[in-house]
Formats: sequence, structure tokens, C-alpha cells
Amino acid sequence: MIKTLGLEYYKIRRKKIWLMITLFLGVEMLWAFMSITRSIAKNPDHAVWESIVFNISSMNGLFMPIISAIVVSRICDMEHKGATWKLLVATNVRRGNLYAAKYICANSLLLFGILTQAVMMIVFGLMKGFPGTPPIEILLQFIVVNLLTTLAVTALQQWISLAIKNQTFALCLGMLGGFVGMTAGLFPGEARHIFIWSYYLDLSPVTFHYTGSTSLYITQPVGAGIVLFALAMTVLFYIAGSIHVSRQEI
Amino acid sequence: MMKQSISAELLKLRHSRIGLVLVVLPSISLMIGCANFYLNQGVLENGWYSLWTQVCIFYGEFFLPILIAICCSYVCRLEHLNRNWNMILTSPVSVASVFFAKLLVVSILILFTQAFFLGLYWLAGTLFSLPGHFPVETIGWSVRGWYATLSISALQLAISLRIRSFATPIGICLCAVFIGLGMYTANLGIFFPFSLLTIGMSALNQDQLTNIQNILFWVANLFFIIIFASISIRRLKKKDILSS
Repeated sequence: MIKTLGLEYYKIRRKKIWLMITLFLGVEMLWAFMSITRSIAKNPDHAVWESIVFNISSMNGLFMPIISAIVVSRICDMEHKGATWKLLVATNVRRGNLYAAKYICANSLLLFGILTQAVMMIVFGLMKGFPGTPPIEILLQFIVVNLLTTLAVTALQQWISLAIKNQTFALCLGMLGGFVGMTAGLFPGEARHIFIWSYYLDLSPVTFHYTGSTSLYITQPVGAGIVLFALAMTVLFYIAGSIHVSRQEI
Repeated sequence: MMKQSISAELLKLRHSRIGLVLVVLPSISLMIGCANFYLNQGVLENGWYSLWTQVCIFYGEFFLPILIAICCSYVCRLEHLNRNWNMILTSPVSVASVFFAKLLVVSILILFTQAFFLGLYWLAGTLFSLPGHFPVETIGWSVRGWYATLSISALQLAISLRIRSFATPIGICLCAVFIGLGMYTANLGIFFPFSLLTIGMSALNQDQLTNIQNILFWVANLFFIIIFASISIRRLKKKDILSS
């Protein structure tokens, strides 16, 4: 298994996927930082660590599904392009292991992206002189819930990317996911819990509340039920994808 | 020669099912826009025009540019596969006709999407029983939006011809959408193709463009199309193609 995983990294060594993730997330962070700076200029009370966590969580709803779709598509499409899937399954490695190696490889790259986001958030907060020390607990929670949602999203994307040769559909799904993630706040709670992409905002450790004429960021506990639901979706998408792709005729 | 290139491009799209994507994406953006309009009818009192703002903000700002990127990536994907560039570049057609055939085919697909979106908008407005007649301006905005998509298509084609990956140009497009939004809010929209789409579709502001703004809009788009097309054609002529 370790060897299979190592080979996945070897195959993408010149694809610079980590650089692409950093650049795309860089644009997202730049946009979010500009928006927070404007918000602080209007209301100095917003100069708190919670504001940055909430803004990035809500923007991740749009960016992360699309970035996940791109990363997974690049890792899976190389097998379609080079017609190497046949070669891989002809080796003495189980198809399930190949599927798992690709999944771990894609998610490790996305985890790198999430960790980069957390570091950039700390740097921005320190530069802006937010009160207090960086809230490690909130940031850790941010990393965990983002990774959890990403695990489910990539499981779904990998299924589509490997099952359908034409990557248009995988990217289209990523785009729809991004759109659902972006507009998640508009749906009622029960409706949006069906869509995994809305979990970037739902599982955010910080939420935004309007109270009459004022608005404030408050920390919220992450519900165990919704976490379990996200985990269940991850397992479901992964197992369904793995079984389908493993049994599919090449 | 051009006619043959176009028919070859159309032939390549035959079993792609790209039509499904072109129909599904505008439908979903319109449905979410309509849901937002329905839930906020108390605030959105300008009838047809309010509905346009709600459906167009999602479609024109995010869906349409990414849809263009997907179409451009798709029409180039086939050339990047199976050493097809070798065949294309040794065939008795000019490089320019290959590029313009691709641009034309993408523009036809987007024109279909625009017409479909407009039809859905009319249907939604009729189902909501909005007061007044269907605003004829929206046809003009759609056509103007389509014209703006030509410069984005030229840019995305240039990127997709350069980058062999299917997905990376789409990610670049997503980033460009946000840069375009930033440039639009900074009143520099005329200098960036993605902001020109916002202006063309009247997605964020329905005020009529002045004559000068209108001329600038058409000229800027033409300028971008010429620039991106010449860069791509020149690159295809001068640089070696990587094929595998």
C-alpha cells in the first residue's frame, strides 16, 4: 500500500499540483482579506480572529469543491489520458488499493492547502493586530472540519472522475458543488444538510449573527450529529466509488 | 478551409454530451436565483428587473465564465490526446483556421446557452406572474453578454491550448472571475475580459451604458479577442507542440 501511494506521488512529481493549490487558495485568501479589511474599516469591532475564520469558511464553500474537483481530476485523468489504467490493474495490486492510494494522495494535497490557509490566517491576523493570541482551538477545529468535508467531497469526485472518462462531468459536479457551497446560507437547515458542500459553512466553528442594527461573530459548537452525517457520507461515497470502479470493465 | 475546420470541430462534439452540461448549469443557476427572488419578494419590488438581478448574479458572475472554461478545455482536450496535435498541424488547414474554428464552435455553444437562459428567465417571470411585459432590454443584455464571452473564450482557448491539463484552465478561470469582480468594483472593468462580461450582462447594475461606455465596451472586447487570438496563433506557428 505504501509503495502504491509512493508511486502516486511519483507520477505527479512534475505536475506542480501543490503550487496550483497554493495559487488558487492565494486568490481566495486575497479576496477574503480585502473583504475583511473593508469590513473592519466600516466596523472596527470586526477586527477579531473569529471574523477571519468565518469569512474563509464561507469562501471555502465555493473554492474547495472546485479545487477538490480539479486536484482529483488531474490525479485520475492521467490514467485515462495515458491509457495506463489497464497497466495498473494488470499488476499484482488490488484495485481497491489503487483507489485508496489515489484518494490519500488527493486528500494529502488538499490538507496541505487547508494548513496553508490556517498559516495565512494567523499571519494576516498578526499583521492586522487582532486582539489576543491566535485562537489555536478554533483554528484546529477549522482544519478538522474542512478536512472532514473535503474527504467526503473528494470521495464523490474520485468516483465520478474515474468512472467517467470525460472530465467535463466531474468538473461540472465540482462547479455545482461550489455553487451549492456558496449559496448554502440561503437554504433552510434541513435542506442544506443533504448537500455535503454546504458543510464548509455548517461545520464552521464561527458563525455570524445579526442582532437588530448590530452584527457580531460568535463561536458555535460543532454538532456531533452533523459530523457523523458527514463521516457517513464519506464512507458511503468512498465505498460506492471503490466498488463501482473496481468492478467496471476497462 | 475554415468551413472544413468548423465541421471537423462540430464532428468532434458529436457524442460528447456537452449539451447536457450546457442545459443543466443555467437551469440550476436560474432555479437558485428564482428561489432567492421568491424568498425576498418583499424587498425585491422591481418585477422582471429584480428577477434578472437575482438570476443573473449567479449565472453571469460564476456559472457562465466557468462554463466557457469547460467548453474551451473540452475542445482542446481531444487534440491533447493520442498525439492528435501532430495530425492537426500536418493537415492542409491553416493554424488560424484551427483556432478560429474552435472559437466559433465555443461561441455557438455559448450562444445556445444564452438563448436557453433567456427562455428560462421568461418562463420563470411568467410563472411568477410578474407585472408588466417581458423586458426587451434583457435580449440586448444577453447579446452583449454573449459578445463579451468571445473575449473570455479567446483567453480560455489560449490557456487551454497552452496547458495540457483539462482541469487547470478551469481553476484559472475561477481565480480570474474573482479578479474580474474586484476590477469591476474598482471601476476598472473595461480592462479585463471577465469584468466586461459583468458589464455586458448588466448583472450587477442595470443602468444604461452611455454612448462612450458602449463604444469602449465593444472596442475593448474586440481588442482582447484580437490579442488573445494572435498570441495563440503565433504560438501554434512558432513553438513546438508537445504530444503524447
